[in-house]
Amino acid sequence: MTATATRPPDAAPPATGGKRAAKRERQGAAWVFLSPWVLGAAVLTLLPMAVSLYLSFTDYDMFDAPRWIGFRNYTQMFTEDPRYWRSVITTLTYVVIAVPLQLLLALAVAIALKSVKRGKGFYRSAFYAPSLLGASMSIALVWRAIFNDGGSVDNLLSGMGIDIGGWINKPGWAILSVALLTIWQFGAPMVIFLAGLQQIPAELYEAAAVDGASWWRQFRSITIPMLSPVLFFNLVLQMIQAFQVFTPAFAVSAGKGGPADSTLVYTLYLYDRGFTASHMGYASAMAWALLLAIGVVTAVLFRTSRAWVFYANDNNEGAR
Amino acid sequence: MRGNRTTTSCALALVLTLAGTLTGCGGDGGGGSGGKVSLRFTWWGNPDRAARTEEAVKLFEQRHPDIDIATSFAGFDTYKAKLATQAAGGDAPDVMQLDYRQINQYATSGILLDLGEHPELRTSEIDKGLLATGVVDGRQYALPVARGTETVAYDAALWHKAGVPEPTLTWTWNDWADAMRKLSASKATQGRVGSTDPGQSEDVFEIWLRSRGKALYTKDEKLGFTADDLTRYWEWCTKLRKEGAVVPAEQTTQMDGTVENTPLGRLKSVSDFNWDAPTSGYAPIVGEGLKLAPLPVGEDGTPGQYFKPSMFFGASAETAHPKQAAQFIDFLLNDKKAGAILGATRGIPANDAIRQDVLPKLEGFDQVISTYQKQFEGKLKDPPPAPPKGDASLQSTFSRDYDQVAYERMSPREAAENYITEAKAELRQ
Repeated sequence: MTATATRPPDAAPPATGGKRAAKRERQGAAWVFLSPWVLGAAVLTLLPMAVSLYLSFTDYDMFDAPRWIGFRNYTQMFTEDPRYWRSVITTLTYVVIAVPLQLLLALAVAIALKSVKRGKGFYRSAFYAPSLLGASMSIALVWRAIFNDGGSVDNLLSGMGIDIGGWINKPGWAILSVALLTIWQFGAPMVIFLAGLQQIPAELYEAAAVDGASWWRQFRSITIPMLSPVLFFNLVLQMIQAFQVFTPAFAVSAGKGGPADSTLVYTLYLYDRGFTASHMGYASAMAWALLLAIGVVTAVLFRTSRAWVFYANDNNEGAR
Repeated sequence: MRGNRTTTSCALALVLTLAGTLTGCGGDGGGGSGGKVSLRFTWWGNPDRAARTEEAVKLFEQRHPDIDIATSFAGFDTYKAKLATQAAGGDAPDVMQLDYRQINQYATSGILLDLGEHPELRTSEIDKGLLATGVVDGRQYALPVARGTETVAYDAALWHKAGVPEPTLTWTWNDWADAMRKLSASKATQGRVGSTDPGQSEDVFEIWLRSRGKALYTKDEKLGFTADDLTRYWEWCTKLRKEGAVVPAEQTTQMDGTVENTPLGRLKSVSDFNWDAPTSGYAPIVGEGLKLAPLPVGEDGTPGQYFKPSMFFGASAETAHPKQAAQFIDFLLNDKKAGAILGATRGIPANDAIRQDVLPKLEGFDQVISTYQKQFEGKLKDPPPAPPKGDASLQSTFSRDYDQVAYERMSPREAAENYITEAKAELRQ
C-alpha cells in the first residue's frame, strides 16, 4: 500500500515487469510488518508443538537426554494406567454437566436481557463480569472456601435443612462444585447469544404473533432455528474450553484431584505427570491424545451440525 | 479495528521477543560488569525468610565487594517446577536451596557441583550423620542447612481434661492408639476426635516402618518394604478410622500442606502429625495448650524418628565461579554474623556452633521447637540416605492411594499393591 501511494498520481502506468516488482515490494513490506507475529508463532507455538510431538515418543525426565521409546507412552496410557482412564471419565462427566447447563443458562439470561428496557448496560456487565474474573486462581480459591465444610454455601444449605457437610470433600459433589464454577461464567456465550438474538428480524415474530403463535411456538420455530449458527458456535467453543479445564479443579482439590480422584480432570493429571512426576514424555503423549480427541469431537459436531444448524441465507435445500 | 488489532499483536510479539532476549542477558550471570563476579542464588520460602536472607546477602557483598549476588525466591511447589525446568535447560542458578528429595536426582544427572573439592567450604561443625544426607556416590553434592524432626502436635489442655496421660519419650504405637480412642470417647474434647488420620502421610508411615526395623528405601535404593507391610499399616489406620479414633476421610482430603487446613488447625481433632518447623502455625489457633510430643516408638522400644535435614544448599556444576559459590555457601552455613541474622528461619541450624549461639535468642514457639529437639540429642538413629531418583511423585501417590481406601473404593490390600506397582515403575525396578 505504501509502495503504491508513493507513486505520483500523474506518472505513466508502469510496464508489466514493474507491476510485478511493485507487487513483490508490497509483499516484502507485508512480511516485514508480519515478521514479529510470524516469529512469535513459530518460536512460541509451532516449535514447542513439534518438540512436544517428538517428546511424546520418548522417555524424558527433564534431566537425562530424551530416550526414544516409540509408542510405549501411548500403549501405557491406554492399556496400563487406570488413573488415566479415571481422568478421562472425570473430564467427560464434567463436560457433559457443565457445557449444556452453561449454554442453557446463557441463553435463558440472554432472552431475559433482550426484553429489559432500563439498565441494560448494567445487567449485561453484571452477568458478564464472572467470565472475566472466573478464570483466575483467586476466584477458584474463593470457590473452594465457600463450598468447603463450614463454608457459606454449606452453612446456607444446612440452614435450609440440606446437610451435605461440604461439597469439596465428597467424591460425588466435588466435581459438581467445579462444574458450577464454569456454569457461573456464562457471560461470554451470553453476550454472543444476545448479539444473535438481535439479528433475528422482528417481522418474523410479528408475523407469527398475527398468526396466533404462542410464545413457546415462536421460540421453537423462530428463535431456535434462527439462532442455531450462534448456538453451534457457542457449543463448539465452550466444549473445547471445557475439555481443557484446569484451574478450578486444581484449586478446589489443592492440586491433588481429590477426594478419591473425583476431580482429577485430564489436564490436572497431565500436569501431575509432567511437573510432579517428571514424566515429560508421557505428559506430551497425553497432550497429543487430548488434541486428537478434541479434534474428533469437534469434527463430529460439525458433521451433526448439517442436520440442525440453519443459515438464513441458505437456499433451503440441505439446511434441514 | 482490524488494523488496530494487528498493531497490537505486532507490538505484543515485539515486546515478548525483547523480553525474552533481555531475560536471556540477565540470566547469563557469567561475567558480570566491571570485573565483578555475579552469582544467582534461589530458594523457596516466605517473606520473613526473604527479608533475613537479603540482609545476610548484603553483609556478604560488603565483605566481598567483587561478588554480586542476585537472589530470587518462590513458594515450594512453584520453586520445584521452576528449578527442574531451569536445570533441564542447563541454566541452573549458581547457588540453590534444595530439598532432600531433589538431591539424588540432581546429583546423578550431573547438575550439582562436588562441594567436597572446595576447601573454602568448611564442614567441620556440621553433625556427621546429617552431613552424610548430602552425599551421593561418595561425593558431597549438597550441605544440610538445618534439621527438623517429626512431631505429634497436641492440645495438652484437652488431654488433661479428658484424663489421658500425656505422651512420653517411650510411648508406643499401641499407647498412641489407646490415647486416641480415649480422647475421641471423652466428653471433654467436645466431639473432636483424637488425631489426624496417619494413613495419608508417607512421612508417618516411614517412622512407623523404621520403628519396626525397616525403611522406605534400602541402601541399594530398592523399596525397603513390601505390600504386606503397607497393607498392615493401612488396615490399622482403617480400623482406627472406623472406630472414630482418627478423623474421617472428609477431613483428611481437605489437607493441602498448610497448617490451617489440617484437622487440628480446623479444630476437628486434638492432635496432628507434622514436621516440627511448621507447628508454630498452630499456636494462634490452638492457643496456650499447644505442646509437642515425640512420635511413638515400636513395641520393642525402637525409635523410628530421626533428624532430617530440612533443606540443603548446593551449587551448579555449570557455574562459572565455583570458588565464589563455595565461599558464599560457607558464609551462609558457618559465619557467626550470618547465623545471627538468619536465626531459625530455615529451621534449627545444622552447624553446632551456630546452633549454640542461636538457640538462646529464639523467641516464642521457636523456643518450644528447639527444646523439643534437644530431648532427642544422641537418642535417635541416623537419618536414611537421600531418597532415590524417581521417588519425587511417590509421596502424592501414597496419599492418593490411601484416599481410595479412606473413601472405601479400595481395600487396604488392593491400594497397597497398587502403590507398590507404581513405586516400582517410578524407581525403574
